[in-house]
Amino acid sequence: MAAARILIADDDPITTRFVSSLLEGEGYEVLVAEDGEHAMQLALQHLPDLIVSDLVMPYRDGYEVLRALRNNERLTAIPVLILSMKDREEDIVRGLEEGADDYVVKPFNARELVVRIRKLLRRTKTRL
Amino acid sequence: MQRILAMAILSLSAVFFGLTTLIVFGKVWREEVQRHRRKRRRELEPKLLAYAHGDAASLLPALGGELRRGDRAVMEQILLDHAQRVRGSEYAKLSRALDELGYVDALIRQLKSRRWWRRAEAAEKLGLGGAKRACEHLIPAMSDEMAEVRMRAAKALGTLGGTSSIRELVHALNEPNRWSTIRLADILTGMGRSVVDELTSYFDSLTLAGKLAALDILGRIRPLHTVPWLEQRLDDAEPDVRARACHALGCIGDPRTAPLLVRALDDEAWPVRAMAAKALGKIARAEAIDPLCSAMRDAEWWVRSNAAHALRAMGPRGAEALEDVLDSEDRFASHQAVLMLEEMGVIDQRAQHLVGGDGGGRAEAEMFIKRLIAVGQIGRLRALAADPANAELRAVLLQLLPAAELQTEAGR
Repeated sequence: MAAARILIADDDPITTRFVSSLLEGEGYEVLVAEDGEHAMQLALQHLPDLIVSDLVMPYRDGYEVLRALRNNERLTAIPVLILSMKDREEDIVRGLEEGADDYVVKPFNARELVVRIRKLLRRTKTRL
Repeated sequence: MQRILAMAILSLSAVFFGLTTLIVFGKVWREEVQRHRRKRRRELEPKLLAYAHGDAASLLPALGGELRRGDRAVMEQILLDHAQRVRGSEYAKLSRALDELGYVDALIRQLKSRRWWRRAEAAEKLGLGGAKRACEHLIPAMSDEMAEVRMRAAKALGTLGGTSSIRELVHALNEPNRWSTIRLADILTGMGRSVVDELTSYFDSLTLAGKLAALDILGRIRPLHTVPWLEQRLDDAEPDVRARACHALGCIGDPRTAPLLVRALDDEAWPVRAMAAKALGKIARAEAIDPLCSAMRDAEWWVRSNAAHALRAMGPRGAEALEDVLDSEDRFASHQAVLMLEEMGVIDQRAQHLVGGDGGGRAEAEMFIKRLIAVGQIGRLRALAADPANAELRAVLLQLLPAAELQTEAGR
């Protein structure tokens, strides 16, 4: 069975390198976008199984990416996990309201992130 | 003369050429170093990440048994970059690697550098890298002659935690001339519930400034178990302590504290009464409504204003109470009530009933509008009467308002 494909959208290269290496170690195929615009392009091109997205990014922020994904018929079912430094209650609530399936605050616990991603992927597979 | 001039020009040209060459070589050298570091980073980072994600107890085997001298700066940067972004077991592994590779010892030594910026940098890195055993070396750095070193040491101790760190930070609250109390309070707040017991235990040994900062920190952390302790502070001899204790209780929002805060509305010091009113607005208990209505007639402006805002924060029950205050003989209280009702949108809602409600609702709305007119605060009614979007409402209000203005004029 092919490995699940995960798109990481974050403008911080250190975070993307850390998360990529973590997820590749778990056997996932990883794509990286350094801004919201690029994330949308990669999403349309590769139809990932899950997107891990930051909120603060150039060109299109995470909220805009969420809205664009949810308004696109081909991408609307892709689960999105927000990985952001924004830790205020209103940011988390807004992220979830805009269509995120989960929210993890940076600095993050790597094991917890992997478990959440695994659960989201499992849930999506069950739905399909 | 010409020869001297030629010599001077030649010398200047030589100096200029020499400096240019030096600058160019310097730049080339720096770029080369950066390029080399980027290359080494690309090679070393995957090894470090594999160690962080894996089960290996040590990073050294992945590095071939030792870290090359030329790679020390690169590896330190990689470790600190990643340590700032993660927590939990991977953070612990990165901290362990920092220690294993000798960075912690080097940074502890650097804390004694003659150059203050090197000391500040060392303090910051020890905090970022989670070097817990550096706490005992960071504590003396909190007495450094340079404020920047002190603050970075405090921040590092805040990140590292532990009882001794907390105690030092709490005691630093006593020295507002040496510390930025706001930044210290941020650090202690960021440490969360672990600082609460130290703050309450050492409270009596703090100066007044320290006590006030401590109460503010408790208000931001909101530990429910400190409520009885905070209630005792309401009997403190110092009015500012009583006022901040009210504030902290309001932030925590335990409804059981409402009776004591109501009692504080009668405190002899107005800052205490003002903060008690504000706290009661946050707790929003029905038993506070009547005392807050009374507080709207307080001699001090802040108490009246906070009481009005507190009633506003209570929603429909508060709005009802504010409507009762409209008939108060105290002009300020009634004016403040109008302002709050306007901000709550009650005036607009009632005005709409003038045209949209049933017979009973219309009569009630008219009574309400007439009471506003009697108070003399009709700014919002005028604005509604000037709004061309609702012609029917406009006509009704214009019928009521001229009479009002006449009444107000007669009143004057």
